Amino acid sequence: MGRTSKDKRDVYYRLAKENGWRARSAFKLLQLDEEFQLFQGVTRAVDLCAAPGSWSQVLSQKIEGGHVVAVDLQAMAPLPGVLQIQGDITQLSTAKEIIQHFEGCPADLVVCDGAPDVTGLHDVDEYMQAQLLLAALNIATHVLKPGGCFVAKIFRGRDVTLLYSQLRVFFSSVVCAKPRSSRNSSIEAFAVCQGYDPPEGFIPDLTKPLLDHSYDPDFNQLDGPTRIIVPFVTCGDLSAYDSDRSYPLDLEDGSEYKYTPPTQPPISPPYQEACTLKKKGQLAKEIRPQETPINIVDVLPQPLAVPPRHTLLTSEVEDSDMNCSP
Amino acid sequence: MDAHEEYVWPRATSELILLPVTGLECVGDRLLAGEGPDVLVYSLDFGGHLRMMKRIQNLLGHYLIHGFRVRPEPDGDLDSQAMVAVFGSKGLRIVKVSWGQGRFRELWRSGLWSVSDWIWDARWLEENVAVALGHNSVVLYDPMVGRTLQEVHCTDRCTLSSACLIGKTWKELTMVAGAISNELLVWYPAATSENEPVAPDRRVSGHVGVIFSMSYLESKGLLATASEDRSVRIWKVGDLRVPGGRVQNIGHCFGHSARVWQVKLLENYLISAGEDCVCLVWSHEGEILQAFRGHQGRGIRAVAAHEQQAWVITGGDDSGIRLWHLVGRGYPGSGVSALCFKSRSRAGTLKAVTLAGSWRVLAVTDTGALYLYDLEVKCWEQLLEDKCFQSYCLLEAAPGPEGFGLCAMANGEGLVKVVPINTPSAVVDLTLFQGKVYSLSWALRGYEELLLLASGPGGVVACLEISAAPSGKAIFVKERCRYLLPPSKQRWHTCSAFLPPGDFLVCGDRRGSVMLFPSRPSLLKVPGVGSKAGPGLLGVSDSSGGGGSTSAEWGPVSTLSSLHGKQGVTSVTCHGGYVYTTGRDGAYYQLFVRGGQLQPVLRQKSCRGMNWLAGLRVVADGSMVILGFHSNEFVVWSPRSHEKLHIVNCGGGHRSWAFSDTEAAVAFAFLKDGDVMLYRALGGCTRPHVILREGLHGREITCVKRVGPITLGPEFEVPNFVQPDHLEPGSKGPGLIDIVITGSEDTTVCVLALPTATGAAHALTAVCNHISSVRTVAVWGIGTPGGPQDPRPGLTAHVVSAGGRAEMQCFSIMVTPDPSTPSRLACHIMHLSSHRLDEYWDRQRNRHQMVKVDPETRYMSLTVCEPDRPGPDPLVAAACSDGAVRLFLLQDSGRRLQLLAETFHHKRCVLKVHSFTHEAPNQRRRLLLCSAATDGSLAFWDLTTVLDHGSAALEPPAEPGLPYQLGNPCLTLQAHSCGINSLHTLPISAGHHLVASGSEDGSLHVFVLAVEVTELEEAAGEAERGPQLRVLEEYSVPCAHAAHVTGLKILSPNLMVSASIDQRLTFWRLGHGEPIFMNSAVYHVPDVADMDCWPVSPEFGHRCALGGQGLEVYNWYD
Repeated sequence: MGRTSKDKRDVYYRLAKENGWRARSAFKLLQLDEEFQLFQGVTRAVDLCAAPGSWSQVLSQKIEGGHVVAVDLQAMAPLPGVLQIQGDITQLSTAKEIIQHFEGCPADLVVCDGAPDVTGLHDVDEYMQAQLLLAALNIATHVLKPGGCFVAKIFRGRDVTLLYSQLRVFFSSVVCAKPRSSRNSSIEAFAVCQGYDPPEGFIPDLTKPLLDHSYDPDFNQLDGPTRIIVPFVTCGDLSAYDSDRSYPLDLEDGSEYKYTPPTQPPISPPYQEACTLKKKGQLAKEIRPQETPINIVDVLPQPLAVPPRHTLLTSEVEDSDMNCSP
Repeated sequence: MDAHEEYVWPRATSELILLPVTGLECVGDRLLAGEGPDVLVYSLDFGGHLRMMKRIQNLLGHYLIHGFRVRPEPDGDLDSQAMVAVFGSKGLRIVKVSWGQGRFRELWRSGLWSVSDWIWDARWLEENVAVALGHNSVVLYDPMVGRTLQEVHCTDRCTLSSACLIGKTWKELTMVAGAISNELLVWYPAATSENEPVAPDRRVSGHVGVIFSMSYLESKGLLATASEDRSVRIWKVGDLRVPGGRVQNIGHCFGHSARVWQVKLLENYLISAGEDCVCLVWSHEGEILQAFRGHQGRGIRAVAAHEQQAWVITGGDDSGIRLWHLVGRGYPGSGVSALCFKSRSRAGTLKAVTLAGSWRVLAVTDTGALYLYDLEVKCWEQLLEDKCFQSYCLLEAAPGPEGFGLCAMANGEGLVKVVPINTPSAVVDLTLFQGKVYSLSWALRGYEELLLLASGPGGVVACLEISAAPSGKAIFVKERCRYLLPPSKQRWHTCSAFLPPGDFLVCGDRRGSVMLFPSRPSLLKVPGVGSKAGPGLLGVSDSSGGGGSTSAEWGPVSTLSSLHGKQGVTSVTCHGGYVYTTGRDGAYYQLFVRGGQLQPVLRQKSCRGMNWLAGLRVVADGSMVILGFHSNEFVVWSPRSHEKLHIVNCGGGHRSWAFSDTEAAVAFAFLKDGDVMLYRALGGCTRPHVILREGLHGREITCVKRVGPITLGPEFEVPNFVQPDHLEPGSKGPGLIDIVITGSEDTTVCVLALPTATGAAHALTAVCNHISSVRTVAVWGIGTPGGPQDPRPGLTAHVVSAGGRAEMQCFSIMVTPDPSTPSRLACHIMHLSSHRLDEYWDRQRNRHQMVKVDPETRYMSLTVCEPDRPGPDPLVAAACSDGAVRLFLLQDSGRRLQLLAETFHHKRCVLKVHSFTHEAPNQRRRLLLCSAATDGSLAFWDLTTVLDHGSAALEPPAEPGLPYQLGNPCLTLQAHSCGINSLHTLPISAGHHLVASGSEDGSLHVFVLAVEVTELEEAAGEAERGPQLRVLEEYSVPCAHAAHVTGLKILSPNLMVSASIDQRLTFWRLGHGEPIFMNSAVYHVPDVADMDCWPVSPEFGHRCALGGQGLEVYNWYD
C-alpha cells in the first residue's frame, strides 16, 4: 500500500488532483453537463452543500461572468468568483440568507452534491440523505426561476421512489443520471430535474420542511408492480475513464506518473480535536488494576465475578441465531 | 395484466434475518433485542444467565427497530407482563407481552402506526405515547384507539440527528433535540395552547460534530451526549423540566477513537459505545473504569444496562450481542505484584524465571543459585547453588498442573541439571555437549512419559527420559536418543510436544521449521531405509558426545521448512487430532499428520498488531486462546470472542517470562527492574463475559454461495426452545441443513449451516487468510466424505475465494455430523493453495524505494468451469478490475493455481463472469463462459476449444512466463447502458440457453442464445471449429428495479427472480415475450451484493439467501 494505491484504485481521484479539482466529484458535474447541457444559458447558480468546493469550482469556470453562491455547513476554503455562506440549509436563517441573494432575479440552476456523513446504518443514512435533498428542494422552490433546473445527489435505496414522486410534483422532467465517473459499486446517482413548474397555487414556505412522500396503493406501491421509477441515463461517453477499473500508474496517453498531493485537505473536521489528543497520547485510558503494583503479596487478588463455566448460552439453547462452533 | 391473478405464486417469506442489532432494552429480568423488524427476547435463567426465549417476527413491517420503551407499571412489576412500545424509522407498534413461568406469550399488539417523519425517541406518558420526530416536532398518540391526540412543532424546524423526551405527563414533557448544526435545543411541547409552534427555551452548543445519542439521569440532573466529534459530554442540567435552568458542561470525555454512537447514564456510571467497537464505562467524573472490546466491524449500535445485575449489554453491527460485567471503581481484580526478591541475604541478580504450576515461581541468579517462591508460604527459599551456572543459565519447569515438581537448568558448557523442587538434594547432573546448551524444552505424554530436550552445538538435540523412583525421593534421568536439526544459522529447537498417541514428537526450531521426530527411534525396525522422507541416520557421532550413551543422531521424518519464517516457531500444541504451532510471524498454524507426514491445514492471523505469538492454550470450554506480545504488553487473546482476556504491561517478550494456566487461575511471571513480577488472575483463561449471540461478518457480505445439503437423522435432533408452534408436523429435528459460504469485506470467508427446520444460522467456521476484502467465492467438486457409496451424512467441497489485492485462496471444506456442537455439525477446513498476481512484488528487495506501477487489481467475480471427468483440470475464470478476464488452472484438486490465459477484450472493469455448459445429443459437452463489464456489454467465450491441446484459440504469450492470450470472443452483445451486476443462464430446449442480466440502471435483459456446433471430420486431425452463437429473441425491462440489480436467477424456463439494492425480491414470468412482473417482497438487508437460490425439497420449496449489510434467507413453495 502507500500513498499511490488510492491513485491506482481510483483514476478519477488521481485526475482530479492532477487537474486541480478539490474532489473527484467535479467530473460528475462535467459529465452531467455533457449529457444535459446544464450550464447552457445559466448566469446565476446555487451550490448547496458545496464543501470541499469542487462543484463550485466547475460552476465558476463554466458560467462566465455568472453569479455563484456556495453554501455549506462546514467551513470551506475560499474560491475566486464564488460567494460563500456557511450554515445549515435545513435551518430557516440560512435559507433566508440564500434567498435574499436572489430576490428579484431568480437562479437558473440549483445543484446539491451533499451527503451526510454516513453512519453505516442504511435506513438512517437514506433518510438523512432524503432530508438533505428535500431541504435543497425547499430552497430551490424559493430561488429557482420557472423552467429552471435542479440537480441533486440521491441514494438509490429502498425508498428512492418516494423522492421521485416528490420531485415530479415540481418539475416537468425528472431523470436519474449516473455519470461514468461515479462508481458502479456506489448507490449514489443524480436526480436531474428540468423545467421547474410548481403546482398551481403552491406557495413556497420556509417554515415548513418538505416531508417525504409515503407509499401510495394507487400510483407508488411498496411491493406492487406500480412504482415511480424515473428513466435512467448514463452520462459521459464510453471513451471516458472507467471509475471501477484499476489503472496502472502509467496511463495510456503516455504521460509519466508523478504523485500529486490532494488539492484541498479538509478544514477543521469534527474529529480534529480527538485526533490531536490521540496523537499526543492524551485520550482517556482505562484505569487498569495492574498498573498500580502491589508491593507485598499479602492479599492475593480477589476473583472477578466469574460465572461458572459453560455459560455460553448458544450451546445450551437452540434458537434462531448465530452460533459459532469451532 | 389479466393473467396476473393466476400468477400470484410464488410468495417469498422471510425465514431468517441477521442484521445489525439496533435496539436493546432490559425489562425486569428480560432483555429485548431489536434486529431488523424482529424482536429477540432473552430471559434470565436460574443460573443468572440470559437465554433466548423467543423471536417475535416482523413487528415493524419494513421498518427497522431502533428502540423499545416499556410502560412504567404503577406497582413496578414487570416480571409477569409488560407493555412495550417498539419503534424505528417511521413506524411504531405497541405489544403487550407476558412472560411469567418461563413462558412467553404475546397478549396483544396494536396496529403499526406509520408516522410522516423519522422517530428519534418515544416516551410513555401514562396511557399515551409521545414521539419526537425528525424535524423537531412532538406528537402525542393514543395507542389503544390508534389516534393522534396532538402535534406540536418547534419554531426551528431543523433536521435532527437525535432527540430525548423527558417527563411523565404531557404537561411536563421536555424535548431535548440534537440538531444537525451540533446544537442542543430544549423546548416544551405543552407550552402552546393553540398548536402554535413553540420557541426553544434554551440552546446549548459545545460539540463540534453531530450528536448521535443522549441520556438524561433525573436523580442527579445530568445529561450526557455522544457525538461525531468522538467525544462524550456530561452536562449539569438540573431538572430539565423547569424552563430557563442553567446548563453547565462538567465533563468532556475523549476516549473513543471513532464516532460515538451511544451513550447511557446510570446512577454511578456512564456507558458509551461507538464506531471503534469499544464500549467504555466512565465514572461521572470522566475517568474510564472499564473498556469492553470484542465486537467486530463497524461499531456497537445499541447499549443496555441492568443495574441490579451490574450488566452492560451491547449489540453490534456484526449482529452479535454480548453481555459484560460491570465491576465498579477500583475493583479487586487481577494485578501485578512484585515478589521482592532483592534482599541483602540474596546475592546476585536474577537471570531467568519460570513457573511450576501457577503457585510456585522459580528463579536463577547470576551466582548460579536457584530460588523458589511459594505463593502460599510467601517467601523465597534457596534450593541450590552451583557455580557452573553463573554466567549462562537456562531454566525451564516441567509442564503439567504443578510442573511435576521438576525443573531443568542448563549452562554454557553442555551441563544439564534436573532438579526435583521438593527434594533438591536429589538433583541429577548430566554433561550432554561440549559446548553451550542453546535451548531446553519439555514434552509430556499424559502422566506416563516425560522427556526433556536440550539443543547443543551443531543442531544436535539430546532427548532425556525422566522417571521417578517409586519412593518419590529420587529421579532417574537417562538419555534416550539424539536428533539432528536441519542446518541453519541459529540451529536449535524452541519447543516440543508429543503427538498423540505418542510415537512421534513435534518440534519447532529457531529457523521457523516444524519437524516430526520418532519418539523412540530405536524401536523403528529398519532405520534409514524406505522413502526419502523416512527416518534416517544423519550422522554418526560419538566424538561430540560428552557423556551421552547414544551414538546415532536421528533426522526428522517430516519437515515443514520455515513455516513461521525467520523469527522462529514459539510453541507446538497437540489438540483434537491437530497440531497447532505459533510463531513470531504473528500467525498460528493448524497442521495435521497423515501417513507420518506433517501437512499444513490452515494459517490464521491473530489480532491486529500482535506479531509475536508466544503460545496457544486450549481452555476448559474447548476453545483456544493465544498468548503473545503486543508491543510492550503480554496478551492472552481469544480468537473466538476477539477479546483480549488478559493484558499485562510487562515490557515485551525479550525478557525472561513464564506463563501457567490451570482451571483455577492463570499466572504470568516476568523479570523487571531486577525483581520477579507476578500477574495472577483467578478463573483461568475462561472468559468472564458472555456472548449472547455470536456475530457474523464485521463488514458487508459481498458474496453468498450455497454448497449443498446435509440430511441428519433423528438421532441428531436439536432440542428446540424456540417457536415450536412454527414447526410443521413431521419435520422435527434438524433434518435438512443447507451449507452456505459467505465472503465479506472484513477479509473472511464464513461457512454457515442453515437448518430448514429451525430457522437458525450457525457459523461453522471462518477462514481469515485473505489480506484484503473477499468479493467472490466459487465452489467445485462437491461430494461426500465417504464417496458416493457411503450412506453417512456429510459434505465435502473445494472452494476458491478471491477479492482485493488480486489474491485468490483455495481450500477444501468437509462438513460432518458432530453431536457435541450446537449446530450438530463440524466443519474441517484445509487450505490448498493461494495465488497473487503481484507475488513477484513482495519478493523485490528494494521495493520501498520504487513506485509500484501495476494496477491494484481486484477480482470482482469467479466462476469454476468443470470439464468432463476424467479430463483436463477444472478452470476458474476471474473477472478483474484491471479490465481482464483471466483463466486459471486448478491443478491437483486445487493444490496448485496456475494462470493460464487472459484477455483485455473488455478494456473496462469486468464485473461478472458466469460459466455454463452446452449439451446436445451426439455432441461433446462444451464449456462456455460469459463475461460482463461496466459498459453494459457481454462477451461469450468457448472454453472447450481453449482446453483442447494444440488449439489455436490461445495465442502464445509474447514472452515466456506470461499467460496465453485468449483470442476473440464467440459473441459480443451490448445488453445495457451501464455496468452489469448480475448474470445467469439456463439451458432450455435443444441447443438453446436463456441468458439474463441485470444492471446498475435497474434494468433487466433477457435473451435466448442459440449454440450451434458444426463438427468437422475429426479423423482428419483437424481441430473442430468453435460453436456459433446467435441471439434469437431479446427482451429488455428498463425500470425493473429502482437501483442496481445485484441478484438474478432463472429458476425455470418460465420463472425468474431478481434482487436489487432497492430491497425488493421480484418474480418475473418468462416465456411469453417480455418478462412479466408477478410480485415482489420488500426485504430488510440493505446493499445486497449477491443472491443465491436453490431448490430444497418438494415440501420445502426454494430457498434464497441475500447477502449485503447483513444476511436474510427467504423461502417459497413452488
